[in-house]
Parts: sequence; structure tokens; C-alpha cells
Amino acid sequence: LAAFGAAEAATTLKASHQFPGGKGDVRDEMVQMIAREVAAADVGLEIRVYPGASLVKAKEQWQAMLKGQIDITSFPLDYASGRHAAFGATLMPGLVKNHAHARRLNESPFMAEIKKEIEEAGVVVLADAWLAGGFGSKDKCILEPDDVQGLKARSAGATFAEMWAGAGASIINIPSNEVYSALQTGVAEATDTSSGSFVSFRLYEQLKCLTAPGENALWFMYEPVLMSKRSFDRLDEKQREALMEAAKKAEDYFAEESRKLDEELVATFEKAGVEVVTMTPEQAEMWREVARRTSYKSFAEQVPNGQELIDMALEVE
Amino acid sequence: MERYAAAVSWLSRLSGYVAAGLILLAVLVVCQMLFVRYALGQSAIWQNEFVTFSLVAATFLGAPYVLLLRGHVNVELVPLWLGPRAKRVLGLAASLIGLVFCVLVFITSIEWWWEAWAGGWETSSVWRARLWIPYLSLPVGSLLLSLQYVAEVWAIATGRVPPFGALPGGAEA
Amino acid sequence: MSPLALGLVICLVTVLVLATGTPVAFALGIVAFGFIALFDGWYGVMATADTLFAGLEDFTLVSIPMFVMMGAAVASSRAGSDLYEALARWLHRLPGSLAVANIGACALFAALTGSSPATCAAIGKMGIPEMRRRGYNTGLATGAIAAGGTLGILIPPSITMILYGIASESSIGRLFLAGVMPGLMLTGLFSAWALFVSWRQGPLADADRRYSLRERLAALPRVLPFVVVIVGVVWALYGGVATPSEAAGVGAMLCLLLVALVYRVWRWRELWPIFRDTLKESVMILMIIATSILFGYMLASLYVTQALAEWIAVLEVNRWVLLGWINLLLLVAGCFLPPAAIILMTTPIMLPIVTSAGFDPIWFGVMLTVNMELGLITPPVGLNLYVINGIAPDVPLTTILKGSLPFMLLMVLGMVLLCLFPGIATWLPDTLMGPALV
Ligand code: NA
Ligand code: NA
Repeated sequence: LAAFGAAEAATTLKASHQFPGGKGDVRDEMVQMIAREVAAADVGLEIRVYPGASLVKAKEQWQAMLKGQIDITSFPLDYASGRHAAFGATLMPGLVKNHAHARRLNESPFMAEIKKEIEEAGVVVLADAWLAGGFGSKDKCILEPDDVQGLKARSAGATFAEMWAGAGASIINIPSNEVYSALQTGVAEATDTSSGSFVSFRLYEQLKCLTAPGENALWFMYEPVLMSKRSFDRLDEKQREALMEAAKKAEDYFAEESRKLDEELVATFEKAGVEVVTMTPEQAEMWREVARRTSYKSFAEQVPNGQELIDMALEVE
Repeated sequence: MERYAAAVSWLSRLSGYVAAGLILLAVLVVCQMLFVRYALGQSAIWQNEFVTFSLVAATFLGAPYVLLLRGHVNVELVPLWLGPRAKRVLGLAASLIGLVFCVLVFITSIEWWWEAWAGGWETSSVWRARLWIPYLSLPVGSLLLSLQYVAEVWAIATGRVPPFGALPGGAEA
Repeated sequence: MSPLALGLVICLVTVLVLATGTPVAFALGIVAFGFIALFDGWYGVMATADTLFAGLEDFTLVSIPMFVMMGAAVASSRAGSDLYEALARWLHRLPGSLAVANIGACALFAALTGSSPATCAAIGKMGIPEMRRRGYNTGLATGAIAAGGTLGILIPPSITMILYGIASESSIGRLFLAGVMPGLMLTGLFSAWALFVSWRQGPLADADRRYSLRERLAALPRVLPFVVVIVGVVWALYGGVATPSEAAGVGAMLCLLLVALVYRVWRWRELWPIFRDTLKESVMILMIIATSILFGYMLASLYVTQALAEWIAVLEVNRWVLLGWINLLLLVAGCFLPPAAIILMTTPIMLPIVTSAGFDPIWFGVMLTVNMELGLITPPVGLNLYVINGIAPDVPLTTILKGSLPFMLLMVLGMVLLCLFPGIATWLPDTLMGPALV
């Protein structure tokens, strides 16, 4: 009976993400790690991980967390930008230059503002995570804005789509699982996405040239591990401590591994015979110029303190 | 009650016309998108979401009309075995189960729609579609479904229509 | 209660609710709702609306109403009988030429539509009365159409494959290509059987009817519009114009134009049945999709799906035995439910089991489709049987069934051949699209 009582007392949390489970995906591993560490801490807390959007659809995770369907999620914050326009800044071209820069950004006033908005929505940030990405093309390498003139491009997010359009590309809107065949048949000629997706969708089979993140990347996305405040408040002191400690470990693990994602990207594409290039600071600045009159501008119009947010981010050395 | 049933089936039919119109519109917009993209080489930003939402709305708005046509497929193994009296009782039970579900969906969708409207929810795409507009199809559709089911329960209970319709299997395709 | 025991309870409750004759969509919905309320409480229930809506908010689903519309448009015109007439004129020298022409017409029509009842209706309307008039055995005449009609979901485009592709996250373009050769194989097997039966029966009245070369050439232009539509869709698909989901829009538009321009269907009175039938069939499917996603959410949330997959993984049965059981289960389900409902309910549970046993998901999609074809002509719920019942109301169901039985056995043979030579399904997509993404 005592054993039964203990089992009853244990709290079970549901953690959801959209990435393949148990196949070594770093983002999956980050969540699994939290689950393992918390279990090892033996504080009567169990985390069940639902990978591959097997419980709720990728874009619904924010809403599902607020509604109590899930408790924890590893979530591209930009997906919720339709409800909190400010979150659009976390997938904004040219704000983050490289992984070291991303770590410094986490402690900046810019991220403090973003996190304030996350918390006001009823959500706790367990661990920070930034993912790098790049551009891929079926034709010539994309380094300067002029290179995309007239290209049919598929973009991972709205802010990038606006920049592509500003540089003269025509934007097509197709779901991520159709990108491979769209590139194959020529419906799309270029795309931007995260390093992990470039590899997992096997885009190296279709692309001629890859613009890898390097030291002057344009493409960075904030994808923290989040938890609903209501679920968090329900935990006791010991459980919270164990959870935050596990999350810290996962955050450090991820910071280390996300760099490896980029290395793996370059290695995989080179092995497949794809030309791999990176941008110079000057080339990245040319893109930022385009972004200033497109994505930054419309962000500033949509979000009350939008211009401020962008300036705060750009100030981070 | 006769009047109620007539009014509800009129509403369901109207909703069905709207839904069919949305499907046709979706076909036209897909073709327009391909033309803009392929022939003109321009950006196609709003069409994808527009078409998706049109068809979701067409589904929820078309469901009451399809119920009227008895087009929602069901398993008629047990009803086929039963005598007329038991068949009627089972038919009533089946319609009541359907009614309860549609009412529950209506109740939960109202709050959900309200949140989207009050919160000004948009999609995270370039188009920034206002979500309360397509979301409206769910409360409207489930309300009409519930009203249609009430009419059906009444018609079966009073012997005005045979339970499970005339066709075996309920749907022809 | 352990997740597995809970799964059993859910299964029983679902069967009970389905048995009352409640529409599948609402039955799945109420069961999901009940168990969510029981275990997750009011918070879980309040997410219902969002889950239902988000379940349908998927651009890939757009192709379903559009492929249905293609079939509805063409089936409402004389196009089906034209296709059949042209083939009959060219094949008249063969014994059993009409039956073969009907099966061939079904295969061609299947390339225009994603649904089987539409194929069955379009070709059968002309084909069955014509075959019976010329002295064909009624069983062969109805069986050939019932079976030929099922090709609608095997030869691309196919709504069944779209649903499977979405549920299994596999490429729909690849699935379509994988259906081509098995579709031709079944067409060949069906035709061979029709030839054999007719040859054994001896010469028929229709052997006297001779068509001159002129008559045969005169029938050709009637096939042209079909060729235009098929070429148009294939060009859109593989010529860099459209993704598979978008190509359906091109197909629907071309078919509407075809019936308007060639068959002069443009009055509201003639157009409305097209839109009504499209609405009826697609709403039926899409509503089941929405509630089956709610149902799937409930199962995953209660950990039933995962527990089941883990349980089967530990069982360590032979993979072919496993496949046999799965196919038997699908066959039984196919007796009572239409393909869309079966795929939506079973794929999320079945797929992890099948892939962990080392089967290729694309190949399995083809197997599943052939299995669903069988279900379309098995009683008590066989959509094609009802269509034929509508075309030839005087033919008793037992005659249709007797006539269909050899064709069903040929489908089983087809599945065995697919197991022995998986390349029948995978060769074409692998050759045209490169090796599969795993
Ligand atoms: Na087809
Ligand atoms: Na059946």
C-alpha cells in the first residue's frame, strides 16, 4: 500500500516537441536529458516525452501548453508570433551572428524583454537554445542579395520571407515536408532553414550550393524549452530545483551540440558534393540593409516597441 | 416542430451552398496561385493559407448539409439485423449520441473562438490572417449540426423518417 | 489501470458506439471526448475545438476535395461511356473484349480520379447494361466493374494514398508513383481472368459486331480530352509547376473545363450535382479526419499508442506473420468501414509496428491500398457494391459477389506478388525520385 501511495504522489508531466524521437536529434536529446535527470533526482517527478509532434501538432504546442494539454515543450518561439508579435524578433535575419554571440544575447536587455513577454503569457523558460541555419540553392551560391534576383524561394519564417522578397526573390509558401519534392521538380529553387532540417530532410540531394552559418550567419532561431507556469507552480520546492538543475545541464549540452549540428551540416553537404560557402561580414551587412527596409521595418510597425527591440539586439557585441 | 424542421433544413442547405462555394473558390485560388507563381514568376503569399482555411471552413459548414443528406458514413451491421421497433430505438440512440457530441463541440468552440477574437490571434505567416474569421466556422457548423440533429431525433421519434435512412450504408460514396 | 488494459476498454467502447450506427465521425469524437474528460478533466476538454480545427489545418488535405471533384465532374457527364466505347471498338476482336474494355476504361478513369466509387459509377453506368445486352454472364459483368472500379484508389491520384501519406508522413508523390505498376499489374490480372472466362464460355453475340477502321478512328477524338487532363496534371506535377497537393487543383479545374466545353455541362441544374457530390464525399472524409485526430490525441495522451507499440516490439513474432495478422485485421475492418475511416483510425497505431519490423512505409502503403480495394467489394459495407446496386438494381447481391470473388482472389494474389517482389511498388519511385528517404 505504501508503494502504491508513493506512485500516486508522483507527478507526471507531458513534454512535447516536433523532432524525431530516439534517433539522436539534439533537440530531442535535450528534452530526454531533462526527463532522465529529473527521474534520477528521485523527487517524485516523471516527464513523459512525446516526440515527433505525436501528441499535438508543432504549431499548436504553445496553445496546448497554455490549455494544459502539455506541460513542457521545446518550441520555436516564432510559431507563436501570431499571438505575440514581439516573438517574431526571435527568428529575425541578421540579429544573431554566431553561437558565441547567441550566448551573449541570452543575457542582454533584448532577451530580457522577450522573456518578460513569455512570462506574462503564463510560461516559464526552462532552458535557452539558439539554432543556426543557412541558405541553400539549386543554382548559384547565395552570398549577396543580388544572387537571389528572380529566384523562387521557400522560407521557414515570415521575417525571412520578407527579406527574400525585398532582395527580389519570389516567395512561395509550401509546407516543410513538401520542400524536398518542390526543389526536385523546380517548384522552388532556393530555401532557408535550420542546419538540422537541411540534413534531416536530405536537401543535399537536391541543392547545388549551401551557405553555411559560419561566423557571420544571418539565420538564427530561438527555440527554448518552455513550461506552463501553472504546471510549474504546482511542483514542490524540491521538484522545481531538480527540474531547473536538469534544464541547466540540458542548456549547456545543447550549446555545445548546436555547434556540432553546423559541423555535421557542412560535412554532410560536402560529402554529397554540394558546394559550401559562408558569408563575409560585408555580405551579411548587405543583407541586413535589405532587412532594415523590409522585415525590421514591418516588425517595427506591428510591434509597439519593435524598433527598440531590434536596436537592442543589434547593440549586442 | 414541422416549421422548426423546415427552417433548420433550409439553414443547413444554405450552409451547404456556402461550403460548396468555398470548395470551388479554393480550386480557383489554387489555379490563380500556380499562374502567379509559374507564369508571372511572382510571390504567392496568401493563397496557401486562404485555401487551407477555406476548406476547413467548408468542412464544418458543409457537415450539417451532409447530415441532412445522410452522407456521414456509419456501420449498419447491427441495425440491419434488428426488427423495425428495435431499429427505431437504436436509430434514436445513434442520433442522440451524435447530438451530444455536436453540442459539446459547440460549447467548447465558443470559448475558443472568443479567445481568438478578443486576443486578436493571427497566423505567424507573412499574411497574418486573423484567425477568428476561419475559426467562426466551427461554432457555426456545430450549432447547425446540433439543430439538425434535434430535427432528426424528432423525425425518427415521430416516425416521419425511417431510422438510418433508406440507403444501406448511409452513404453512396 | 495499465495503458494496455485502458486501450482494450477504449477499443470495446468504440466498437459499441460504432455498432449503434452513429456516424463514424461523431462516434470517434464522442469516445475521444469522454475519455479526455475522464482522465484529463475540463482543461483537456476545452482544447477539443483547437484540436479539431488544427487537425484539418493542413495544406496537404486540400487535394482531397479537389481529386473528389475531378471524379464527380467526369462521372456526371457522358465522358465515362465515351472512354468505354472507344476501347470497346478497338478491342472487339478479343474474346471477352467488352469485359476487357471495361476493365481498361476503369484503369484509365482511375488515372483521373482519386476515388473508387466514382470510377465504378462512371464506367459501370454504360458498361454493365451493354455487357448484359450482349450476352455476358451477369456475374462477370458486375464483378469486372466492381473490381475494376477499385483501381481508382491504386492508380494515382488516390485519396487513400493521400490520407496514408499524411498519417505516415511519407511523400505523397512517391506513394503515387508506387501505385502505378501494381495498378497496371492488377489491370492485367483482371483482364486475363475476363479473357479466360469468355474463352471458356465460347463465342458470344458480340463477336458478330465488327467495327471498321473508320469507326474505330472516329472514336479516338473522344479519348483526347482525357489524355489532355492526364497530361496536364502530370505536367503540373513533374514539370515544376505544382506540388502534389496543388496539382489536384489543376486536375479539378481541367475536369470542370472538360465537362463544360466538351460535354456542355454548364447549367446550374447540371453543375450543382457535381458540387453536391464533391461536398458530400469530401466532408464525410474530412469530418472523420478531424475527429480521428482528436481520437489519436486521446490515445497518445493516455499512453495507449506507445504502450501498444512497445508491447508488440517485445513479442518478437516473425515479421511476415505480423504482416499477415495486420492484413487480416485490415480485411475485417474493410468489411465494415470505408478506406478513409480505416486508414485514419489505424495508421498511427500500425505504422510504428510495421516500420519497426523493417517494412518500407511506401511499400506498405501500396499493400494497404490493395487491401482497402478488397474492402470496397466485401459486404456488408462495400461502397462499390452499392454503386453497382444503383446501376443494376435487378441483379441480386449474391450474383455480384460471386462474380467479384475471382477478382478478390486476384487482389490477394497481387498482395502475395507484392510481398515476393517488393520492387513492383518501389522500383518506379526509386528510379524517378532517387532512393527513399528513411
Ligand atoms: Na486514381
Ligand atoms: Na467492405
